[in-house]
Amino acid sequence: MTETDWNDDGQLLEVLRDALVTEQEVPRAFVEAGKAAFAWRTIDAELAALTYDSAWAGLEAAPVRSAESATLRSLTFASDGWTIEIELTPEGLLGQLDPPAAGEITARTDSGVLATGRVDELGFVVLKPLPKVPYRLVFVADDGPTILTGWVTP
Amino acid sequence: MRDDPVVVALVNRAVDGDKGAWDELVERYAPLIWGIGRRYRLTPADIDDVGQGVWLRLIEHLPTLREPAALPGWIATTTQRECFRLLRAASRVDPVDPAEQRDAVEPAVAEEEVLRHEQRTIVRSAFGQLSQRCQLLLAMITKDPPTPYDEISRQLAMPVGSIGPNRARCLERLRRTPALAGLADDSGTNTGKSTGTRR
Repeated sequence: MTETDWNDDGQLLEVLRDALVTEQEVPRAFVEAGKAAFAWRTIDAELAALTYDSAWAGLEAAPVRSAESATLRSLTFASDGWTIEIELTPEGLLGQLDPPAAGEITARTDSGVLATGRVDELGFVVLKPLPKVPYRLVFVADDGPTILTGWVTP
Repeated sequence: MRDDPVVVALVNRAVDGDKGAWDELVERYAPLIWGIGRRYRLTPADIDDVGQGVWLRLIEHLPTLREPAALPGWIATTTQRECFRLLRAASRVDPVDPAEQRDAVEPAVAEEEVLRHEQRTIVRSAFGQLSQRCQLLLAMITKDPPTPYDEISRQLAMPVGSIGPNRARCLERLRRTPALAGLADDSGTNTGKSTGTRR
């Protein structure tokens, strides 16, 4: 950072402009989302961050459509020890945990639960209906940790 | 600033589940996260993701934060990590500087952003202590593009000829607010400049 000469009116104005502009630049929605994050503090979970989203690739590389269901979008979340792959289909959300583990999975917003599903022994789950508002998934293994994914924005 | 007792109190209250204290922490440090995201040229949507990651990790980290004064540094470093994670995962954005290792958190960047953030906070709080008339005048002058003098004159009912002297007076008052005087003295000491010869 260059040293500011506080006695110079021009430089002081520049510092002031920078301070005022920076504040205005931060979107209110960004600040509000940060405040809302407090709702998640009671969930003692391992965070799984988004590592892949088919929406990133755009139209050129649309997700492979499987025979039984038309996948609208696929996403992958990963923490140190876990991977959660999800596919959003018209029938609902298909999820696969790796390594496989049985447990409960819920789709939650800041304020409540949208859907709950049972994850089978093979780590597979179907969540219905497909939530229409942004949510995160909370997976609670029967005999293990809790995992919280990043936001899924439909 | 680093030992700001307000921050220490906010952290302690947030740990106890005080949502109001958390909100204040977010108001205070959201610009720091935003600024670092912009520095890595992330899109607003990506900075939203980075922000969520940082806030959630902060919630997790708060109870074990032994030194609340170290909070800005922790936030800056965590934000950098989240930015790298995103850049790596998506590989959609070229690294800011190909010569730099993307995974290596650059302490210099984090430290610099923390200092900038602190300075901006101090300057804004000093600005808030000025009279409303001074705030209006300086806000119009620092606007991009600057408000034309005849427009300022009309809005503030101030003769064009006295805008210059008023500007100087308001800046002098800004300089003399306790917050800014402290900042100027610090930088004066650092550079070995005399601090007693303010005009």
